[in-house]
Amino acid sequence: MPTIYLGSCRDMMELVKPPRAAFVNFPLGHQCGKLGEPELQTQILKDALSLFESAKSPGKIEDLEYTWDVPFTWQDYQKDISDMLEAEGLAAQNWKPNA
Amino acid sequence: MEPIKYVSCLNETYQAEGFPPYRWSEFDSSPWQPFEKPLNQTRLALISSGGIFKEDQAPFDPWAVNDLSFREIDVDVDFKKLNLHHNYFDHRDALQDFNVVYPVDRLKELAEAGFIGSLAPTVISLGMGRLYKRTALQEETVPKILKILQSQNVEAVLLVPA
Repeated sequence: MPTIYLGSCRDMMELVKPPRAAFVNFPLGHQCGKLGEPELQTQILKDALSLFESAKSPGKIEDLEYTWDVPFTWQDYQKDISDMLEAEGLAAQNWKPNA
Repeated sequence: MEPIKYVSCLNETYQAEGFPPYRWSEFDSSPWQPFEKPLNQTRLALISSGGIFKEDQAPFDPWAVNDLSFREIDVDVDFKKLNLHHNYFDHRDALQDFNVVYPVDRLKELAEAGFIGSLAPTVISLGMGRLYKRTALQEETVPKILKILQSQNVEAVLLVPA
């Protein structure tokens, strides 16, 4: 079954080597575009799905040319998660080594 | 902007807490299934691992470890009847618009517009989390998913890993 992998973790994609892959450099949780921007969402999907017809060799990652409004780092990712847990009153991960 | 190096950052974070090194899935090469039909005549299915489920289905564990289960969700289910349990990414935007990780509305529009042939009636939704049972995933979960897709005459799949 031919597949397209639409992801935002480029280094993981380099390890897994999906046959046809599109990379969107957005914070996790936005692989298919930004909130409230359906046209952008559509365009990202069109770009990704077009790889079914255009990709010619397995394992190549197509870097889609979209940019997030502000730079984001690993520290931002961690802060976003902790802000989310606090805002929603969610428990932190309680899984421990050797549990 | 340089992409975040999630693998090394996650390794450092978890190993600092005393976890053993995570065995990332790594392959030397990629399989290749030729794509021979025009996209606008192709039946596409969506598989998302955004942790989305229907209100009458068992919820995902938001901090899933080794969750090999999946939910089947009809593409016509009202988004108001869906929920999302997944804490490994900031899901606040996704809760306001599932399409950012579960682009069902957009894919239905693309089918309507003739960009894809059709959208398969069932979305396969997973939560997964950290997985230490890759063989079980490949040998037990994947065949079940494939059987569903084949029963719906699916010809191609969009994977949205979250």
